[in-house]
Amino acid sequence: MQAPFTFLLLPSLWASRNRARRRERGDLLRAGLFGAVGVGVCAALFSGAYWLTTQLTAYAEFGDYLLRLGLSWLFLTFLAFLAFSGVVTALSTFFLSEDLRLLLAAPIPAGRLFLARFTRTVGQASWMVVMFVTPVLVGIGAARCAPPGFYVAAVLTVLPFAMIPVAVGTAATLLLVNVLPARRARDILMLVSLAFAATLVLMLRFMQPERLLRVESLPDVAGFFATLQSPVTPLLPSFWAGEALFAVLQGGQDLLHGAALWTTALACTVLLGAADRRWHFAGYSRAQEAPKARVNQLRVIDGLARVLPLSAVRRQLLIKDVKVFLRDVSQWLQLLPLLALVLLYLYNFRALDLDRVPYMSGFIKNVYALVNLAMAGFVLATVAVRFVFPAVSAEGDAFWVIRASPISLRDFLWSKFWTGLVPLLLFAEGLTIAANELMGVDPFLKVVAAVAVAFMTFALVGLAVGLGARYPRFGADPTQAAASYGGVAFMILAVLYIVVTIVLIGWPSSMWLFSRFRGVRLSTVRELLMAGSFAAAIALSLATWVYAMRSGVRALERLNK
Amino acid sequence: MIAIENLVKQYGAFTAVDGISLEVRPGEIHGFLGPNGAGKTTTLRMIAGLLQPTAGRVIVNGHDLAVEPEAAKGSLGFVPDRPFIYEKLTAGEFLRFHGGLFGLDGNGITARVHEMLDLFELRRWEDELVESFSHGMKQRLVMSAAFLHRPRAMVVDEPMVGLDPRGARLVKDVFRRMSERGVSILMSTHTLEVAEEMSHRISIIHKGRIIAQGTVDEVRRLAGGGDDHFTAVFLKLTGGGGLQEIDEIV
Repeated sequence: MQAPFTFLLLPSLWASRNRARRRERGDLLRAGLFGAVGVGVCAALFSGAYWLTTQLTAYAEFGDYLLRLGLSWLFLTFLAFLAFSGVVTALSTFFLSEDLRLLLAAPIPAGRLFLARFTRTVGQASWMVVMFVTPVLVGIGAARCAPPGFYVAAVLTVLPFAMIPVAVGTAATLLLVNVLPARRARDILMLVSLAFAATLVLMLRFMQPERLLRVESLPDVAGFFATLQSPVTPLLPSFWAGEALFAVLQGGQDLLHGAALWTTALACTVLLGAADRRWHFAGYSRAQEAPKARVNQLRVIDGLARVLPLSAVRRQLLIKDVKVFLRDVSQWLQLLPLLALVLLYLYNFRALDLDRVPYMSGFIKNVYALVNLAMAGFVLATVAVRFVFPAVSAEGDAFWVIRASPISLRDFLWSKFWTGLVPLLLFAEGLTIAANELMGVDPFLKVVAAVAVAFMTFALVGLAVGLGARYPRFGADPTQAAASYGGVAFMILAVLYIVVTIVLIGWPSSMWLFSRFRGVRLSTVRELLMAGSFAAAIALSLATWVYAMRSGVRALERLNK
Repeated sequence: MIAIENLVKQYGAFTAVDGISLEVRPGEIHGFLGPNGAGKTTTLRMIAGLLQPTAGRVIVNGHDLAVEPEAAKGSLGFVPDRPFIYEKLTAGEFLRFHGGLFGLDGNGITARVHEMLDLFELRRWEDELVESFSHGMKQRLVMSAAFLHRPRAMVVDEPMVGLDPRGARLVKDVFRRMSERGVSILMSTHTLEVAEEMSHRISIIHKGRIIAQGTVDEVRRLAGGGDDHFTAVFLKLTGGGGLQEIDEIV
């Protein structure tokens, strides 16, 4: 007798159970940290949704209209996200996953394998949306004192709503993989999805919701709502989901839209299953052809490295690191969303007319330069944990090449440091200088921020490389390495370092600004204390940088790999 | 019984397997030899149902793989060159899952899992995570899985890699016993001594084509090798001599 398709999901469940039973070092710390962040985010989403819904209740019918529109927009945003997430996830679950080599050699009926893979795809592609939408819907329900039926309806709505776009995304993947080799398809899909995510963020931003804050732009409000209303079409599942939930929230029922969701979800599954039976094996087989794909030689990297005043060993290490990074499109494409956020961040400074808001002018505006510095620090830490911390782990099974070569591990690790430092320093300086320029902060603070961010980059890159060498995960991919014990430890230390540095720089800077705005002359003792505070910030950065690197070199020398 | 007829696999313009045919009869151990990149693994992956042939047929125990894939795979055991094992499962869990894939039900599976773990000397590690296993232990676990459902045909890609002498001896003994019971075994290997010692017949594949087929003695005669060491015969057939050039380079 053949087991049901859910049998094929057992290894994931058993593996999770085994991981929970046999905890590794740092698992509890990681779970605690991520759990706390998760609970914090959920609480914030719940509070936000609750507060907003309560505010809307005060506007009677107009509030209801906005809530209804808001629900449709919420689902519309997720609809697009789920479709693209489905495309990328399906590529992995249906075509690139390692366990397919085991499962396809077994006598499993194609339909059963499809159902198991599709279930996994829906789960993997939509868990983030579910995590986000749950506190929001619970917040809305609580604010409107919704009956228990609302929560049941929410579950019955979100499930088919997630299935439809993921099925469409999976179908797109099935089509693409049959046209392109899967690994090339993955690169293209990653690019398309990340470009989409970046466009979505920028699009939302360029709608300029800050117009609502300006009294003189009130006649535009009607136009603004017309813009909001335009993408909400009755033909999309997001509209059906919004309508179905809004009806239950009002104490009624909308069986038509609920039925539309379920029938479409089931029809999509059946049609996708038929297409999968017809084209999956051909696509999977094509996926094996990727190693034959043409390789970009990237000779320009060799040329650039030859110009740099480097020893032969460091030059070859640099060439290898840069080529490996650039050839793995899935790695560097992850920078795109970050780039989009940075652009958004800078655009905010240009778009917001801060001088109209009394509290944001003058003194506070200059203090904001320090907030900007802290933001740059956090962005640096995020990029460093993802791209610099895994630098040693990325050597993987090839680390023996380094160990067996006549080069010192010190040279090896410092090469990793400089390779990470240069792009991050350019990025951090660019971000800080541009933001301060757009804000129009005091020239003194511009210089302080530019110098401070340089020291922060040295410290954070040194910390990332050093801890990456102390806690390497040779078998893991860069994302897993970044989320490992060492990665979490890096983030905690990096945040502590940033906070202390900002305090050490912020206190003397604000004293100086205060004295300047008030026209008060500072005492010599205070000036000395301020200089000492700046010096302490510099010393902290240098100590973090040098100690982390030395500790990393020692750890590598002890490593019995 | 395993039979392949005019099997072809093309990657774009490159032909990895170029119209090969062979038959492994019940009870036969068939050595599948060839230099690196000759097309051995591609052929075996097509027989296991992991790669779609560009042309040709694969018949496993009377079932056409393209027409009855489940029946064909259900009677076949496959040991790949780079096996996938769920690292976070224990050996016992992995075998029970593997048995489930081949339709072994809950009542008999535990006894069968224990039999295989005993046979491949892994019983002590039944409840240990696979990630803690050495390469040789993983190889023996994959063998246990492949034999779990009592297949009537086996496809084995480089079975001796990573095994210690005791493990290698064990695997050879298991293959011989299986063959005596009528199981057809198609075995790819680079260890020519193993092929010579165990195979009833061998096929040598080179650049995607079978260039020699028969018993060891027949292949030896075909190469005009007389009493040559089998390595010399293999090198003659595949054109891999080159000792003169090595001397010049070294």
